[in-house]
Amino acid sequence: MSPPSELPTLLGTTVRRSLVVGRVSLALSCFMVVIYAAGFGAGGAILISIGVYLLPIFAVAGGIGGALVYSNDRLKGVLEYVVAYGIGPRRLLINALAASAVQVSIILVLGVGAGVTTYLLSGHALVPGLWETLLGYSLPMSYLAAGLLTTVGVYWTSLASPRSGMNSPLGVLPMIGLLPPGAVLILALAAPPVHVAQLVGAAELAIFIALLVLWTHRERFMPAERLLSPG
Amino acid sequence: MSTPRPPVAEPALPSEDGPAALDCRGVDSGYRDRPVLHGITFSIERPAIYVILGPNGAGKTTLFRTIAGILPPTAGEVLLRGVPIGRPASRDQMHYLSHMDGMPDGLTVREGLDFYASIERATAADVDRVLDQLEIREFADAYLSKLSAGQRKRVSIARIFLVERAIYLLDEPTANLDPKVAREIRTLILRLSQNRIVLYSSHNLFEAREIGQYVLALKDGRLTLFDRIENLRGAHFVIGVRTLEPAGALAGWERRGEYYLRELSGPDQVPGLIQELERQGVRLREIREMENPLEDLFT
Repeated sequence: MSPPSELPTLLGTTVRRSLVVGRVSLALSCFMVVIYAAGFGAGGAILISIGVYLLPIFAVAGGIGGALVYSNDRLKGVLEYVVAYGIGPRRLLINALAASAVQVSIILVLGVGAGVTTYLLSGHALVPGLWETLLGYSLPMSYLAAGLLTTVGVYWTSLASPRSGMNSPLGVLPMIGLLPPGAVLILALAAPPVHVAQLVGAAELAIFIALLVLWTHRERFMPAERLLSPG
Repeated sequence: MSTPRPPVAEPALPSEDGPAALDCRGVDSGYRDRPVLHGITFSIERPAIYVILGPNGAGKTTLFRTIAGILPPTAGEVLLRGVPIGRPASRDQMHYLSHMDGMPDGLTVREGLDFYASIERATAADVDRVLDQLEIREFADAYLSKLSAGQRKRVSIARIFLVERAIYLLDEPTANLDPKVAREIRTLILRLSQNRIVLYSSHNLFEAREIGQYVLALKDGRLTLFDRIENLRGAHFVIGVRTLEPAGALAGWERRGEYYLRELSGPDQVPGLIQELERQGVRLREIREMENPLEDLFT
């Protein structure tokens, strides 16, 4: 009999599986972000300024893999097994968030790389504030909104009562992650430039607080009996 | 119908001193809005296959989930060798196979076994061994999602062969499988059960008869019987005889379809009956058990 020892985190496996399970949305987002970023980059300063607000939308759309893995695991009875072995909700949520973050990172690297490269190759000069917007909005909003999507997706999957044989209880839930960057995009285009920084800051702070509140209530949203397989 | 009997305390294994291997003491358990188990009390010490029988909704799966430590009892306690469930020392004593496959999407068969090997602290050599042992090497590199239900179940069962445990909880491992695959799975489990305690839930009475040495019957969340299966067999044993041609010697026997029925006091009388029939010139095609005494547990 094996002596009791530290449980594995399953982090690497979850990340790898999320790349397989979420490959369609990831591939689509990668393709779209490269096309758009390259187009916006080549288009000059005004277009690339809009592009940095679009970036989180692609990142969130492609970062659904973590929630998908969790959802599949509940339906297939994998969670029931890992919970029986002592791996708790906290670890499962961390794994889903990390898997999502990896996917977001892939999309961001491709998007920023394609956009900046084509922008510079097209002979445009660097726009003041571009990097600040990227670092202050595109990147954090991408991770925050994807984290929101993943957390809500995990909780929803836990609380839903999926029928046996159902593919996924997630449904249109991924839209939740698209709402914040979508709203900021529209408002940023409409708002006077001086207010954009405040708008961005408020949006990021709101999502951050929402994530903190959701995180602290994870035991309530992910009770052990709600991780059991259906049927 | 069998009268509900009090749980039977089995004698301890000669090699094991101290607390029982599995001890359920007045366990109530269930879900937040739905209590399922009521006052479940039994103690298991002897390695054997214990079949948990009961109709749908009787509480079989809930009992497994409670013993596995997923659902905490709302009253009473479950002890594995004296250690309360939920602690690493108790988790390391058992394997749990839920009624679902429990095989993760997005992985190949080998990767799926690696996934469980990492949790079980098994090695790559263990994975290789079960690929051969369960005869699944030929699709080791296929994605789990591409396998048939029988193949998935076989892979699912392979994971409980990765490392040895003292106690195995198998929740309807042959459900929804065709008879051939179900028989193969039962053979594997019989092989597994050498010197192990196997709790095996089923609502298939013939399967219970074939594989089990003990039966625990659940009804409405209560334990109504815990006994050796052979004690039940003797109570009511009806066999059916099918012949290759009409047999005058069986003219007085009751018939059900192609079968001539005969009630015996137990299975040990079957060989003598066969000899008697052959002496009378009856050309036998098949003899089978027609009524299973375990049926009484469902009524």
